[in-house]
Amino acid sequence: MSRSLRLSAFALAAALVATACGPAGTTVPPASGGPAASAPEGSSGGSVAPGPAGSINVLSLWGGSEEKAFQAVLADFTAKTGVTVNYEADRQTYSTTLQSRITGGNPPDIAIIPGIGFLRRFAKDGSLMKIADLGVDTAGLTSSYPEGFLAAGTVDGQLYAIPAKYNNKGTMWFRPDVYKDDGVTANPATWADYKAALDSTKDKPGAMALGAKDDWNLTDWFESIYIRQAGVDAYDKLFGAEGDWTDATVQKDVDTMLEVINDKYVVGGIDAAVGRAWTDAIAQVFKPTPEAGTFYEGGFVGGIALGQTNTDLKIGETIDWYPFPKINNTDEVTTFGGDVVGALTDSDGAKAFLQYLVTPEANKVWASTGAIVSPHKGVDTSAYPNDLVKREAESLTSASAIRYDGSDLLPAGIAGEGLGALLQRAIRGDKIDWADFQTRVKAAWDAE
Amino acid sequence: MQADPPGGMERVAVSSIGVAKPPEAPKQIGRRYDRTTLLFLGPPAILMAIFLVYPTIYTIALSFNRGRRGEFTEWVGFDHYINLLTGDKSFLDLGSFPPEGAIWNNVLWAVFYTSLVIFLGLVVAVLASRVRYESIIKAVVFLPMAIAATALAIIWNFVYAPDSNIGLLNAILSPVTDRGISWLGNPSLVNAALIAAGVWGSVGFATVILSAALKSIPSEILEAARVDGATERQVFFGIIIPMVSLPISVLAVTLLVNVVKLFDLIYVLTNGGPGTKSRVIAFTMYNDSIPGGQFGRGAAVAVIMLVLLIPIMAYNIRRFRSSRVT
Amino acid sequence: MTAVAEPRAAARERTTTERIVRFLNKTPIHIALGIIALIWLAPTVGLLVTSFRPRSDIQVTGWWESFLQFRYTLANYGEVLSGQGMLQAFINTFLIAVPSTLIPLVLASMAAYAFSWLHFPFRDGLFLLVVALLMIPVQVAFIPLLKLFAPTGLLNSYGAIWLTHTAFALPFGIFLLRNFFITLPRDLIEAARIDGSSTIGIFRTIVVPLSVPAIAAYGIFQFLWVWNDLLMALVFVQNGKAWPMTKAIQNLLSQYGTEWHLLAAGAFILMAVPLLVFFSLQRYFVQGLLAGSVK
Repeated sequence: MSRSLRLSAFALAAALVATACGPAGTTVPPASGGPAASAPEGSSGGSVAPGPAGSINVLSLWGGSEEKAFQAVLADFTAKTGVTVNYEADRQTYSTTLQSRITGGNPPDIAIIPGIGFLRRFAKDGSLMKIADLGVDTAGLTSSYPEGFLAAGTVDGQLYAIPAKYNNKGTMWFRPDVYKDDGVTANPATWADYKAALDSTKDKPGAMALGAKDDWNLTDWFESIYIRQAGVDAYDKLFGAEGDWTDATVQKDVDTMLEVINDKYVVGGIDAAVGRAWTDAIAQVFKPTPEAGTFYEGGFVGGIALGQTNTDLKIGETIDWYPFPKINNTDEVTTFGGDVVGALTDSDGAKAFLQYLVTPEANKVWASTGAIVSPHKGVDTSAYPNDLVKREAESLTSASAIRYDGSDLLPAGIAGEGLGALLQRAIRGDKIDWADFQTRVKAAWDAE
Repeated sequence: MQADPPGGMERVAVSSIGVAKPPEAPKQIGRRYDRTTLLFLGPPAILMAIFLVYPTIYTIALSFNRGRRGEFTEWVGFDHYINLLTGDKSFLDLGSFPPEGAIWNNVLWAVFYTSLVIFLGLVVAVLASRVRYESIIKAVVFLPMAIAATALAIIWNFVYAPDSNIGLLNAILSPVTDRGISWLGNPSLVNAALIAAGVWGSVGFATVILSAALKSIPSEILEAARVDGATERQVFFGIIIPMVSLPISVLAVTLLVNVVKLFDLIYVLTNGGPGTKSRVIAFTMYNDSIPGGQFGRGAAVAVIMLVLLIPIMAYNIRRFRSSRVT
Repeated sequence: MTAVAEPRAAARERTTTERIVRFLNKTPIHIALGIIALIWLAPTVGLLVTSFRPRSDIQVTGWWESFLQFRYTLANYGEVLSGQGMLQAFINTFLIAVPSTLIPLVLASMAAYAFSWLHFPFRDGLFLLVVALLMIPVQVAFIPLLKLFAPTGLLNSYGAIWLTHTAFALPFGIFLLRNFFITLPRDLIEAARIDGSSTIGIFRTIVVPLSVPAIAAYGIFQFLWVWNDLLMALVFVQNGKAWPMTKAIQNLLSQYGTEWHLLAAGAFILMAVPLLVFFSLQRYFVQGLLAGSVK
């Protein structure tokens, strides 16, 4: 008897306490003027008290050191405009959080969007604001950003997002000391050179490291080869609604991949590679006693290797990169990845933030933290802290053509195995049914 | 209708003094159900109706729709179902032998996970009962249940890592293998590896239940059998198993329901990979809906999942009927 | 014959030799249990050891090698605990878990009592419906409930998640507790009724006190489940200051890196409370789980 009384008393007390000290100082501003297309329940947030004047919610997937860098930008923004920012990070379950917020009537004011498929979906859902409606001169943006990048943020002819972060995906990372020891005197410039370098470094200590558990690593390989082998126009077509995956160039690309991604060159073998996380593969190359000489991924590898894997690395001696080897191309072309920033409300704070973000000053602040390469043309390369990042930034303007990461351009809702999964199968020797993939991709494009 | 008498405490106090209640009490029970029953059943019923029944109906309706944003945007009839059951190899592939796809994976889990958990649970319960440090063993085996799914992901990543200098399993096997085995990356191994991790996490639950069930078998019956000359084997299979068959079936039902709803482990360990090899139904449902944005399709997956649970429900009903209290 | 010999055998066991012999006779059992204990402890111990290792070591060598290197550090724990908002997140987890445990406890007990000892039309059919609701996975409810909650303020406080956790916990609770309640002695309840106790009275004075093990077991289960939950919190707690620890630990990670050292330490910090709860309430747990399935 006493126990159950105690239980219920405790329950009551707990409930009272909880209500009393609920989330402290809620600063959720009223979700003002949500997207017109949303359901009649409206997003006026019922009993949510309006936050202090001029504050916005920003949602992104950056945590850890990237968040710190971004906070520097946010601090600068607040200093310049007086609008405070509530930053929320969500690294792994981004789509869940964003969708929940939108459906729940609490969309963040600003969201950093990691994939173009996502961007298109949210734009078509009506959840994103058009940039032009937010006081930003979209026509003027072409002088600030490379054309390939703005195209990525455009859906149905309207700009919905602004480029925030640029990652060159055509960077081949390597250990100069391993190359030197194995007699590789010049950085490989062509595919043949690259294969020769792999031969030289094979087993001494190893040719290349691969972390194919994260299958997007493989899609990056595919895209880097494709844009160089089949050409920029073919690339644009393949990763658009008219793409034809049964075209011979696709299988040719995979065959080329298999020339280097095989048990001969990949340290540990293909089987192990498919179970290995890509950051572990970075570690294989850049730890104190390397197991392999090269690793392919984008410009962000430098930051990870230097900041997390091995802080004793010396640029030029134990870590460096050269452009992805040429295949059929004569000019430098490259694929790139990057995050874009969109607005989900048209509050004054959101407008202010976007207008701020397109200025060269904002991008300079960000660039100097060393965490990102800014896509803004107005940022001088001297703003970057080390040589690796400087050269990456230069590639933005020096390349004759840059194209957004293809697999991020594909629709998000492809049924069944995606490109990465298919490539995982390909490297283990399976034959790929491209016709089936084509059907599924087409269905996903149509469903958009 | 009779109004509720004043609070129970006072009644008990009063009656203990010896004031007899008139014999119409039985009739009161029958009629009293109107108000008190509402109090007892009302709040739970309302909550369940809003949070469980309504979303289910919503989902069933959504499965016949395109479901953009999770809203009813465009009627598509049975398209999703047809596509899922015949056109999506990652969901159900009857073309190859053995079959493949998410549904097949759930079948694998249902068979192997459930039987292994019960078997190992029984083994541990029986062995532990013979030693003095029994409760320590039970606590050790139960420990995984207190661990969050995200932590389990890290734990198992360290066990299954393909490099023998990081992965525990590969380190143990390194004398006999030349290269690390990719437990989570190899399509032929991944489901077995996941089931092993799942079993590891659930044996404790089974052990605790079965251990208590074993203890409740009156020892006189066992002694009598032994006196009569029955071997240990006969005792085990002839007496112990039948007497714990009810807890085992409760356990099995709980485990099977968990299998159909299985999501967390797959999500954190392999995200359905490599490719789509380790996907299960609940994962497909989530993946199609939220990251994929195809809420109608996800809803259809959910409905298929509920349909698959009907046999389990039917079994529950039958068992319930036979144990009813009149 | 053996039945008679047993008591005397037990009495004689006191001599040391006998005890040693008895212990050794069970060697196969001890070995088997030793292997089992190893298998069940090794992975978790691995994580524990990892949480004390410096980051650079974790990616390079296995945790078992750390015993030879003997390089340990508390830095990981320090980094997690001082992580932005971690203390608030810890409190938040309590604020979410406690009501989400207590409310379903109360409601499920009440409903279970109704299903066992009260009479009303369609009683058994409704009970089966409740059991059927056990099958419903939580993801199904996200979108419909979010739309329902949108115009209320519940998503910005804990109201949404308390209610959702409660609702999803009810079928299991009602199932478990009802199966226990029906085993209570009928005469006791009948006697109380005849004496004139009200329904509520019988519930409070007889049913609940006798059912503490079952109720406690259910409570522990629910508490563990809610404490370790991430997905529901992500969806139904939409206020960034109200996030629980499971989320806060995720936020320590950067987009690309896998900060194993932080995750390992975070996992153990997260585990501390459930382990405490479990070990201190262990005896109820055993009895309670058993309830309703045997007899």
